[in-house]
Order: sequence, then C-alpha cells, then structure tokens
Amino acid sequence: VEQLEFGEFYRSGQAACLRAVLASVGDRQLAEDLVAEAFARAWMSWAKVRGHPAPYGWVVRTALNVRTSWWRRRRRETVLDGALEVQDTTAGDTVLDPVLLAALRRLPRRQREVVVFRVFLDLDTRATAKVLGIAEGTVAVHLARALATLRQHLVARRVLEVES
Amino acid sequence: MSENNADVLEALQGSVGEVSMHATADEIVAVGRSRRRRRSLAGVAGGAAGVTALALAMAYGGASSAPPDAADSATLGAVHIHEVGYTVDTKADGTIHVTWDKQRYFQDRAALEAALRQAGMPVVMRVGEFCVGPGDDATLDPSGVGPGVDKVMKGESTGPDKVTFVFTPSAVPAGKQLFIGYLNSAQLAVTQGRPGSVERLVSTGVTLTCTTTAPPAHK
Repeated sequence: VEQLEFGEFYRSGQAACLRAVLASVGDRQLAEDLVAEAFARAWMSWAKVRGHPAPYGWVVRTALNVRTSWWRRRRRETVLDGALEVQDTTAGDTVLDPVLLAALRRLPRRQREVVVFRVFLDLDTRATAKVLGIAEGTVAVHLARALATLRQHLVARRVLEVES
Repeated sequence: MSENNADVLEALQGSVGEVSMHATADEIVAVGRSRRRRRSLAGVAGGAAGVTALALAMAYGGASSAPPDAADSATLGAVHIHEVGYTVDTKADGTIHVTWDKQRYFQDRAALEAALRQAGMPVVMRVGEFCVGPGDDATLDPSGVGPGVDKVMKGESTGPDKVTFVFTPSAVPAGKQLFIGYLNSAQLAVTQGRPGSVERLVSTGVTLTCTTTAPPAHK
C-alpha cells in the first residue's frame, strides 16, 4: 500500500517538480539527478513526507538543497584546481527561454526560491512560507521584488527587440 | 499574485517546456529501499559497516555486511543507470556503487563493463582468459584475487540473488586497470561448478599476455 501510494505521488508530481528544479538549475540532466535523489529521500522518509502540508515542496526543497551542497563542493574543488569552467549542458528543447531563466538564476537565492515554489510549483503563499521556513509576509516581499526585477529584464529585452 | 504581473508570470511559465522524469517510480523506490535496508543493517551492526572482499566469495555465499552508504553524485557527468537487473551509481565520494543480479553479473558482462567504463572505472573483462601485463604481479590469493584489488573493488552478497560492489577508481594505481576474468564453463571445476572469476590489477597501454589455464582451485 505504501509503495502504491508513493508511486501515485511520484507519477502525479514528478513532472512539476522536475520543471521547477530545471527552472532553478538550468541543466536537464542535473535537474533529473536532483529530483530523483529528492524523491528517493522522500520514499525513505515517506511517513513524514506524506503528512507534509506541501509534499512536492518538500521534494523540490530537498532537490535544491542537494544542489547547494553540490555547488559548494564544486566551488571548493574549482578553487583547488585553479580553473573555473561551468559546462552548459542545457537541454535546448526543454528550456524555451534560457535568457529569462538566466535572469531568474541571477536573483538572490531566496527570491529565486520563492519564484520557483510560487510560480513553477504553484504553491500558495502559506505553503511556500512553510517549506522555506519564513514568514508569509516575507514570501510576498521576495516575490514582489523578484517579479519587479524580471519585469525590468523583460522590458529591456522588448526595447532591444523593437530597436533591432 | 497581482494581475499587473501577469505578463511576467506568463513569460516565466513559458520559459520551461513540458518535461518528464526518465526514472520510474519503481526505480526510485528500489533506490530508497536499498538505502533503507543498508541504513537498517548499519544500525543493527552498530555502525560497523566494513565491507568484505568480493571476488569469488560472493559465489560461495561468503559473509557480508552492509557497504558504507554515500550520497549520490549530482555532478555533471555523474552516472546513474537503473536497469531491472542492475544499478550503477557514481557517488559524491568518488566511488561507484553497483548492485547486480548474481546471474547477470556473470552472464551480462558486456553491460557491466560498459556501465563501469561509463562511470569512470578502468576495467577490462575477458571470459576464459586470465591476463597479465609485463611486470605485473600475477599472484592470486585462494579466492582468485590479486594484490591491491581489495583497494579498488569491494563487495558482498546483499541477498539471495543480489550482490553489491563498491568500486573506487581513484584507488587504481597510475598506469593500471582492473582485470576481471570470468571462468568459462570448462573451467568451473575450480569453483565446483559455481560461477567464478579472477580479479587482478594489470598495466594499461601494453599487450597483455593471457592464458586459458584455470587458476588454482578456489577455497
């Protein structure tokens, strides 16, 4: 029963979780690895995750935490190696607006996370606040700032398109 | 969210296409279950999670304990292959964890070799031939394992039909690779008919000298 329940949970939400993580990391293979890892951890803690107010938020949050650990480790290794090389393995057919997503990834971490949970995972403010461990008001502020920044980016792009 | 942001939200929503995971729910569960079991075994063993040398021991149902768990690698180029009969995962600590159906281990060598090479393990496999390079140490212990192999390949039986390996590419000495030679049907007398193999470290970039003479009887 537990496995059937988890299977349904996975099938219902894997695409949305992958989409949310992909928006945040911009690399299809990495996103799949992170989401698979997060779902495996969800299965290991299924009794807790199934009762979570936003279980898919838990999965995406876990995936992004794994990503943070990976990035910190990679950055240390890069410093030791004395070279910085970030491979671009973006899957072109799934990332339809790489420029906008690059702008999203340049946002401060909290703002970016709020966008991922509110926009890509479609969580409400309360659930997003719960998953991120911050106040609902803080979620609203981060979202407003993030969208304002992204709006500026879109406007600038439209101006360039018109001028060209 | 304000309607004033509708255009930004629409642009964001349209920035990522429809995607779907390649892994199935069963594969996810299999990975999680395996970790649950290892965590449980490690707890029962009081955390003494040493690993036993593999070689032919697993064919003999040798004693085993849980392998050390390690976080899956999420680095670019990480390998995570989850097939019905086997799994290959590169880990954050640089090791490669392989679970394998025992029969497949001996019957599906090409897939294992390809998966290990893809994961970064320098390995060469043969059937019915036992090879060494010039100057390589050709000695084998009673289980058919050469010197130094225990540093790069460990494993144990993890169930009636399952075996788990931990390969450590970084422990392979420079200029060496892991050689695995499976006994063919005519050579299985040394293992009393049970599937068996020989593992040793051999040189890379040289012509290996091979023999079809079966190794001494395994104990």
